[in-house]
Amino acid sequence: MSGGMWTEKYRPQTLDDIVNQSNIVNRLKTFVAEKNIPHLLLVGPAGVGKTTSILALAHDLYGPSYRNYVLELNASDERGINIIRDKVKNYARTAAMASPVSFKILIMDEADHLTGDAQHALRRTMEVYTKTARFCLIGNYSENIIDPIQSRCSVFRYGSLDEVDIKDRLTLIAEKENLQIVDEGLDALFQASGGDLRKAINMLQAASANGELVDDISVYSLLGSIRPDRVQTMIQLALDGKFLESREALRDILINQGLAPEDIIRITYREVMRHKSLTEQMKVRLSDIIGEVDYRLTQGARPEIQLSTLLGHLSLVGDETM
Amino acid sequence: MTTPQPWTSRYRPKNRGDFVGNEQAVEELEKWIRSWRKKTPKKRAAFLYGPPGIGKTSVAQVLAREHDYKLMEVNASDTRNKGSIEVTLGKAVNQNVTIFGQRRMVLLDEMDGLSGQQDRGGVSAVSKIIDQTTSPMILIANTIEENMQDRFRAILKKVKSIEFKPISSAQIVSKLEYISEDQGIQVHPDVLMEIAMKSNGDLRSATNDLEMMASGKKIVSPDDLAVIGHRDRLDSTPNILNKIFTSRDFREARRTINQSMIKYDDLYEWIYENIPIVLDDPYERLEALEALSRADIYQKRARTNDYRLLKYFFDLMTGGIAFARKNSKGEGYRDQLTAAIMGAGFTPSLISTINVPEGIMVKPNRWLGKDKWAKLNTSLRGLGASWVYGKNVWMLPYYREPQAKWRFIRTYHARRRMNSVTRRLATKTHTSSAKARNEILPLLRHMIRSNQAIYDDLSTWMLETPDKKLAHLRYMSFAKKPSDFVSLENYSKYKQREMKKMIDNITKETETDLRNIERWLADEKKNASWSK
Repeated sequence: MSGGMWTEKYRPQTLDDIVNQSNIVNRLKTFVAEKNIPHLLLVGPAGVGKTTSILALAHDLYGPSYRNYVLELNASDERGINIIRDKVKNYARTAAMASPVSFKILIMDEADHLTGDAQHALRRTMEVYTKTARFCLIGNYSENIIDPIQSRCSVFRYGSLDEVDIKDRLTLIAEKENLQIVDEGLDALFQASGGDLRKAINMLQAASANGELVDDISVYSLLGSIRPDRVQTMIQLALDGKFLESREALRDILINQGLAPEDIIRITYREVMRHKSLTEQMKVRLSDIIGEVDYRLTQGARPEIQLSTLLGHLSLVGDETM
Repeated sequence: MTTPQPWTSRYRPKNRGDFVGNEQAVEELEKWIRSWRKKTPKKRAAFLYGPPGIGKTSVAQVLAREHDYKLMEVNASDTRNKGSIEVTLGKAVNQNVTIFGQRRMVLLDEMDGLSGQQDRGGVSAVSKIIDQTTSPMILIANTIEENMQDRFRAILKKVKSIEFKPISSAQIVSKLEYISEDQGIQVHPDVLMEIAMKSNGDLRSATNDLEMMASGKKIVSPDDLAVIGHRDRLDSTPNILNKIFTSRDFREARRTINQSMIKYDDLYEWIYENIPIVLDDPYERLEALEALSRADIYQKRARTNDYRLLKYFFDLMTGGIAFARKNSKGEGYRDQLTAAIMGAGFTPSLISTINVPEGIMVKPNRWLGKDKWAKLNTSLRGLGASWVYGKNVWMLPYYREPQAKWRFIRTYHARRRMNSVTRRLATKTHTSSAKARNEILPLLRHMIRSNQAIYDDLSTWMLETPDKKLAHLRYMSFAKKPSDFVSLENYSKYKQREMKKMIDNITKETETDLRNIERWLADEKKNASWSK
């Protein structure tokens, strides 16, 4: 057993290897045949093969040394306008050398995290450097991408993967890795992954790490043993009225873990919305509050203050309801 | 007798000898003005920047006259937009000689008034005019900000930037002495010193203060300081916080900004740190946090738009906090102390806590046993208490020092290590760092802690360096163009230098990453069950 993370080991290398998303893959194959691609916008949920298919496309287009012609950027790591001004422009403006086609590919993952300014800058860059670079934007939601960019791209919408597809893939990997996995284990992995194949494969690898049979019990005990989400903990502390502790948790997330304030607010929103003991009415009220704090983050200079204020609101809500 | 005029204009420098401070800046400016005699210099405009009231405008005026220029002053905050700037200035810069044959110099004052959101075109209009001008131009901005770069990006490259610094208190005092002598009034030295200190290097405001204090008097004593609210004595941070948290008077709370020994940004952090400790009622706590939150926004606006807005920041961070408290007694610290004592497994009666001016004194009533005592020590230290040798008690100050900075410092290495690991993991799995950190890393950790074979495999995988960064070097672009060099040979040398720099940086970064990842892996190995 060797070869690192299985998500990479078993990532389809060519378009032919991809068994799902056949509509999209067929279109991508015609691009390869024509040796030309438009700007692309791939949207869809996590772990359904967006990045995989564009890497496979690059592989088919440029051959095994495709990495020389592809620049991968992750917008959630570098989401400001400077990345467009510096990195993207520099990369985009020179022609590809010794390659079958004249352009290079720039993959901008999680493009829906780009700020508005950055997107507007990107729009010009896309137009000006079309000859030398093709952009492939990837994101979960197209509504966060400004219209002018959407209209410059061929948009591909990825559906979520079928349960059968995910289970087939997991079974295939299990066979190759000589694992024993039972149906209950597959069910549990599918449930826990929420249709995200990458997550499912990662969990399979982790659940099988002790070398024993993978069943529902091993999957759920894995989920129990990896520590609970810290943002969740922070929210719960605030709702329980332990403001000081929740502020320490916030600092831990913000400083020790280095999670971006924008991400913290995004996760907080998600967690509050699916929180079990908050009433619908409370959720509406909190949506308003989180929205306001989200806006203030863009207006203020100290993210910790703004997020602390949110914790203050949460502990007041907790005080009133519990 | 001359008609009375404000001292600030009366004692405005009339010739070079009157200048106070900034000798180097003055020299630099004069050199630049001289360079116009021979031919139009490469930099056609000088950009003087610095805080207000230190003589930027005066220096420009005096030097213009001494070098026989007719100074044409344009106030940028009047002619704000692009069109009007082009019209007013355009004329001035093209006719470089007046009808009387005197050469012209253009002074564009209050450049900082130009950079608001509405009149973005302003800076670029000025930039264009700099390119065309045949007369020397002096631009002046009241700014000491770090974001000057952003605001004046369009012009900074083409101008000679000259920084003016605040004037030292000693220099201000001697100027004030000169003025009072000239006015025939006697001013107590303490008063002069106080005014000078208060002015923060702003000679103009110091002159104004002196004039106001001396109006209708022949002798000025320290008592007169009250006239301009200079009674504010600097006070220690705990006292300041006490005032802010307990005041029922907005003005009293507001004045703390001037009384504080620490900078207002630091004071803000102190307030923030202590809100949940002083205000134990969730509603009051929220109100205080809301005030700080809005204060923060005003400060940012003040920085990016106009410093006028800073007063709202001060109002909210003082008055906003003072009036948030209604019922809270500020006993938050006691609660925490009780929690710490109980947490260590003691009943509160075993330990006496006494309020003294410096804070809460914590003293065990009898021998408590080693283990529990150690636990209590740790949590007390966590609260910010310190052990007083000699007295053998713990002292817990009423207010806690801001913790965020400490946390940053303490976690520096751990954070760097974690960043290397997640960056590598993100690149390898084609995801964002956030996802790598939150979703993949916990699973990876689980795997490598499970057994040695997997640890070995995955650590080899993690340590394989992705080389694509180097591949992209061939697409790097260069800041300078071939035309910037005398010969193509020099240009290619420059390119090689830059390439080497870039490769060195990437290699260094990769090495650091590698070291950090190795350390992380070693730590994980130590924690793994199979290695025990």
